[in-house]
Amino acid sequence: MKFQLQGAFKLLISCSWWLVAFGLSAQEHSYAPSDIENGRGLYQANCLGCHGNDGDQVEGVRLSSGRFRRASSDEDLIRLIREGIPNTLMIPKDNLSYGDTRAIVAFLRALPTGGALVVEDRDVAIGDTARGEALFFSNQTQCSTCHGVNGGGNLLSPDLGNVGATRTPGSLEDAVLDPMREVRAGQRFYQVTDMDGNRTEGLLLNQDTHSVQLLNGEEILSAFQKSDLESHGFIPSPMPSYLDVLSPSEVADLVAYMISLKGEQ
Amino acid sequence: MNKAVKLAVCFSFLITSTGLLAQVTPERLLNTEAEPENWLLYGGDYDSHRHSDLTQITRDNVKELELKWVWQNRAPDGASQKFEATPLVVDGVMYTVGAPNNVVAIDPVSGRLFWIYNYTPSPEARLCCGRVNRGLATHGNSLFMGTIDGKLVKIDARNGEPEWIIDVASPELGYALTLAPLVIGDKVIVGPAGGEYGIRGFIAAYDVESGDEVWKFNTVPGPGEPGFESWEDPEQEAWKIGGGSIWQTGSYDSDLNLTYWGVGNPGPDWNGDSRPGDNLYTESVVALNPDTGELAWHYQFTPHDEMDYDATQAAILTELEWQGEERKVILWANRNGVFYVLDRETGEFLLGEPFVSVNWLSGFDENGRPIRALYPTEEGTFIMPNNQGATNWYPPSYSPVTELFYMPAWLDTFSVYTKRPVEYTPGQQYVGAFPTMAMPALGVNPLNQRLPEEGLGAILAINPQNGEVVWRHMMTNVTDSGVLSTATNVVFAGGREGHFYALDAETGEELWRASLGGQIANGPMSYSVNGKQYVAIASGGGLFVFGLRE
Repeated sequence: MKFQLQGAFKLLISCSWWLVAFGLSAQEHSYAPSDIENGRGLYQANCLGCHGNDGDQVEGVRLSSGRFRRASSDEDLIRLIREGIPNTLMIPKDNLSYGDTRAIVAFLRALPTGGALVVEDRDVAIGDTARGEALFFSNQTQCSTCHGVNGGGNLLSPDLGNVGATRTPGSLEDAVLDPMREVRAGQRFYQVTDMDGNRTEGLLLNQDTHSVQLLNGEEILSAFQKSDLESHGFIPSPMPSYLDVLSPSEVADLVAYMISLKGEQ
Repeated sequence: MNKAVKLAVCFSFLITSTGLLAQVTPERLLNTEAEPENWLLYGGDYDSHRHSDLTQITRDNVKELELKWVWQNRAPDGASQKFEATPLVVDGVMYTVGAPNNVVAIDPVSGRLFWIYNYTPSPEARLCCGRVNRGLATHGNSLFMGTIDGKLVKIDARNGEPEWIIDVASPELGYALTLAPLVIGDKVIVGPAGGEYGIRGFIAAYDVESGDEVWKFNTVPGPGEPGFESWEDPEQEAWKIGGGSIWQTGSYDSDLNLTYWGVGNPGPDWNGDSRPGDNLYTESVVALNPDTGELAWHYQFTPHDEMDYDATQAAILTELEWQGEERKVILWANRNGVFYVLDRETGEFLLGEPFVSVNWLSGFDENGRPIRALYPTEEGTFIMPNNQGATNWYPPSYSPVTELFYMPAWLDTFSVYTKRPVEYTPGQQYVGAFPTMAMPALGVNPLNQRLPEEGLGAILAINPQNGEVVWRHMMTNVTDSGVLSTATNVVFAGGREGHFYALDAETGEELWRASLGGQIANGPMSYSVNGKQYVAIASGGGLFVFGLRE
């Protein structure tokens, strides 16, 4: 619980730090830091109740992805927020001025992660992108055995093709050195054991009081009734730590490569 | 047969076959125990017990329940909203409201509609937490509905035609009516939501015939009104936008002639610096004379709240033998995580016992005032329960058979409350920095990949004598469901997962369940037609009705 608290608390400091350190999205959209800061407060007051701390609480919507099904330009987004989406919980926010709505868009464009809970307010060494790419696909790390980059890898591990647009360098360094520090929803692994002692492990897709839905190690969708199980529960992520595998400069290279991944052009 | 005779025959046939012309008198509302086949009030009776005296469905045969019919709310802007209403059943006709303000009269046996009344709210309506409605009130041949744009509508129950529509409050300032009104005698009583928009809350009574306002009690008192001294800002401005919303229907004790209402949070929600003082009557229960609106007493659960612990729960009225003396009491499980027993004649604090993990208070003083342990800070303060609360408006139940209190609960939740500057702009949210929550405030995501330590849901049975939890029925996700208990010791409730449960009222053991596919965010109820008992619950955008297999 304490772990989650720390992560959640960091949300509040994450965005301003990201902007100071990199200012990527903000600069691309020419938003002033004051707009983004104002937008953060407006988001918290008007949007967070449904969309959540990480902007991912509405099914199929991840606000920090930078991609929106119903809006491509910032003006589209402003209009969508003010007019709402008919027949959905996305009610019109016509109480917001154009300027306030634009500030929310500025904030959304500046969101650093798909799950800002892991953001660290600290300096991270950034190495050489080309060396990092070579490391990523090397036998030394075998990163690409599991993780794809706009394809490839396996279905149990997140594709990293857009990771540079959705994660901060600090969180990426954490993922390399201390992957168990925060395993986010959608990347958690689960194990079930039936009454005969047969075990199945896989990526947790969903669960309720009576059942659990996994993508198992063979990449097959599998469902279990909890009443049929001897035991079930979360297990550690198979993502290994590279703390004793890579040198600090190699870690910095890997981080440099990952933050260069901004999705398919 | 001449025309006059034919008309008379038709008329008597109409009365016999449908009962549509039966009047709901004030006396019937006072004596709901005499007609358990009906459900005449939002909470089942004026005590808000949500307890059915019907006995056909028992612990032994509840496994034989089967789906009888479903009604799907297809109203524009409604199907995707939460279905929070508890239906009424009056003499063989069911009335309910699909979001946002879509009233229907339904044949409770077949699920077919008699009529639909689609009220189209103003685009000015603005709500913190969904375009929802919790139900109707009835009087005579009429229904009463509050609307999300601040109107009170009187509807002819026979044809769904509006009789009158009156303005209660301004939607452009954030006032909205989401609760089921309460009829007492010749008055219909409502209060507005809008505590997140800087409203000044109130409870008001209107004449059931004319719609004229009879009285108005300001839940945030102004100059000259008792309680104003609890708004201590030197500029004396905070009270004007002090919140104090009304989400949940009140209860009524006809012997004491008092009606009991819970009042919501002060505004702004999460930064109280602009409103020093206790901020009465926010986060309080108020006991009012229903004839005049005069305040008899109040008890404040969370003075100077900065955690949004709305006291928007249903007041359950019962009698308890308390330390050797018979007492008329209120049972109240609050959003702040504490179960209370209050004397409802005087407001005296009798018991306060946490039913989940709480850390915002360390106990109570000799007057029953909570001793605060934690406050929001600029750095952030870890406080349990979370902002959504240990429970909320979801209506609990009390069984006079088991003498237990049944309630939905969110277990072991927390938020980090961070104090940030906030300014009021008319019509805009006036809240402060939204607290962090691992558990989403609204159950819109059907995928649950959360860890157990991020919070769980449960239905609890609490012994009112000591506040102890007698049993817990655990759920992997949290619940926004109300609870129904029956004379046969069955408890019905659901949750966000869409499961609808029948539980043993004495042990919490699951007796039966149905998976309905959408979150349950309303209170189940039971009724009987032609000698057959039914149980109704809404899930997602649909109303599901079950009865025993034939």
